[in-house]
Amino acid sequence: MKRAIADFLCEEEGNPASVHRAGQRARKALEGARGQVASLIGSEPRRIVFTSGGTESNNMAIFGTALAAAHRRKIVSSMIEHSSVLAPLSELEQRGFEIVRIAPDREGRISPDSVVAEIDANTALVTLALANSEVGSILETPKIAEAASAVGAVFHLDAAQAAGRIAVDISVLGCDLMTLSAHKLGAPAGIGALYIRDAARIAPRMSGGPQESGMRAGTPNLIGAVAFGASAEAARLAMAEESARVAMFASSLLERLRASIPDLRLNGSANDRLPNTLNLTFPGVLGETMLIALDLEGVEVSMGSACAAGAVEASHVLRAMGLSDGDARSSLRISLGWNTTATDIDTAATTIARVWRRVAVNEPLGSEAAS
Amino acid sequence: MKARVLVAMSGGVDSSVAAAMLSEEGYDVVGVAMRLAPESAPASRKRGTCCSHDDFEDARRVAELMNFPFYVIDLRADFAARVMNNFVSEYLAARTPNPCVMCNREIKFDRLWERARALEADFIATGHYARIERDAAGAFHLMRSVDESKDQSYFLFMLGQEQLARTLFPLGAMTKSEVRSRARALGLANADKPESQEICFVPDGDYARFVERRAGNSDIRPGRIVDNSGDTLGEHAGIHRFTVGQRRGLGIATGEPMYVRAIDRDSGDVVVALRNQISSAGLIAERVTLVDPSQREHDEIRVEAKIRYRHRALPATLRFDDGDRAEVRFDSPGPAVTPGQACVFYRGDDVLGGGFIEKAVLS
Repeated sequence: MKRAIADFLCEEEGNPASVHRAGQRARKALEGARGQVASLIGSEPRRIVFTSGGTESNNMAIFGTALAAAHRRKIVSSMIEHSSVLAPLSELEQRGFEIVRIAPDREGRISPDSVVAEIDANTALVTLALANSEVGSILETPKIAEAASAVGAVFHLDAAQAAGRIAVDISVLGCDLMTLSAHKLGAPAGIGALYIRDAARIAPRMSGGPQESGMRAGTPNLIGAVAFGASAEAARLAMAEESARVAMFASSLLERLRASIPDLRLNGSANDRLPNTLNLTFPGVLGETMLIALDLEGVEVSMGSACAAGAVEASHVLRAMGLSDGDARSSLRISLGWNTTATDIDTAATTIARVWRRVAVNEPLGSEAAS
Repeated sequence: MKARVLVAMSGGVDSSVAAAMLSEEGYDVVGVAMRLAPESAPASRKRGTCCSHDDFEDARRVAELMNFPFYVIDLRADFAARVMNNFVSEYLAARTPNPCVMCNREIKFDRLWERARALEADFIATGHYARIERDAAGAFHLMRSVDESKDQSYFLFMLGQEQLARTLFPLGAMTKSEVRSRARALGLANADKPESQEICFVPDGDYARFVERRAGNSDIRPGRIVDNSGDTLGEHAGIHRFTVGQRRGLGIATGEPMYVRAIDRDSGDVVVALRNQISSAGLIAERVTLVDPSQREHDEIRVEAKIRYRHRALPATLRFDDGDRAEVRFDSPGPAVTPGQACVFYRGDDVLGGGFIEKAVLS
């Protein structure tokens, strides 16, 4: 991916929309990248629209479908979606749409049957994550795709977390729209894509130019697209092997942590989840303190989401799964990447266990105000 | 290895300079901004009050400039339970709380200490104007700031030897104007930021309304305003609206200015009197702590007692009882004593300790 960016920076400087030859070379690079991204999900290249990232793709999918849907006023989703899905849905709710938010089970899975039961002739859109961003649970799509298709509802999958980690094939999944994010594949932030099966069913959200088949006006982020394409290709070629490697690392890390931290709990499904994500409840400590202490030791983990002020907040996903506020505040997410090594796992296992003991002794949870 | 210091940063110029100076001195600085007040008070988002988003951004910029890690930490539940609830219950109990003292006692030098230990910090630092010095025998002294007009040692009387040994006040030997020019020299964007004056969780300054919003209706105690002989001068909507020594806002028309002399929680009576009738001979302090606990071995010691932040310290004699209470007797009659406020004992620039005023001693 870095080589693709470097090569591109040395040779190209055009605007793909320009008519001159530099523009033609830029166009070739952009379309090459589009092909690489399309291959990752088994799509035709012309159905891929580059965006500024997963958040824009989700906004485009949701508002675009709502605008294009003539009379249908219902959207089916879940309580455990990413904020870039939840916020647009709340906005549409205020504008009169009926939003159904399905609750997950205790393992963070959305039951396909409960989704299907809500899909009716008034349904404009079904929007769900293929893999949950916090606990990694994976959605079973076939029944949902069939039910949506039967009533003519648009089926959107947010695959920002899933793509590159598990096989993602649009023909198997049966979706109409799919969100992709490049930085989850190791490319720089600021680029993503929306797969659009039928452009007639989605209204553009950005106007002012013919770019991206008229679906998203504006000079595209060419360097970002080149990096996205290269990382999508790398992910596609290495996926089988890398998934197995990361899964092995994750279970080895979990085993070692369980051995040193009594009552450590794994949130999410033991089996139907992304191989690279571990969402763990650490007994007796605040996740916030663990996160800071680990960061100071060079181990980066995440927790829920950050508020505007930059403080971490308890995960809405874990709360929806039935965890208490206290348990949600004691939970952290550990993500393994393609570049994670056996040494990293070793360091992480030792450091996390040591930091947990230190935090548990010095800042025991009972001392916090009972709330 | 460099000593690690957790610096409590508000985004104001004082804590920013404190953090920057420690960073320049080579400490392993970890900056933290504490979320304390709940967000529901919209006025708290205003710039210049404590804990607003902009203030955290100001603190974050200092960390970026000086290149040390910075985190926003959420202590709202602790602050509500230990400071805000205390503020309300004290007013309802006919006392006048000092939430800044409580915040230091309960949050900055207690709750934050746990966090500091969990993060392997050797020290906590703040931007308080006060000094910590160590004498030849190895004992730590808490002392007034060199800037008399800014001195905040009153709010820190509860610090003991153990805490002083692991606390840094980098601004103690500086004046406010020196701090501001240091901030400009360091290139800090908030060098000329105005100071926050009001209580951070009551940004509009309307304490009575704050107490009423958080208390149950049945906790509000209305009653009579009476004079020294028990004659009714008027009615009032709740004892929480009054503080001993108060003159303004009594809502009664009398020839001469009247002051609140006492508040009776049980009857709801607010007793008012003329200025020369509200003075006191001394007070009883409770929850007394001493910077050097061996002072307690004396039956009595000579001190200067400060009974409110903005009051001058008065020469007095301090007598300990067997528990954690003490009697303070002024050399000559002092002003009205306000239950709930801190009484801090000084000897010259040294803070000997302090406690919370339980009641006045009238003669």
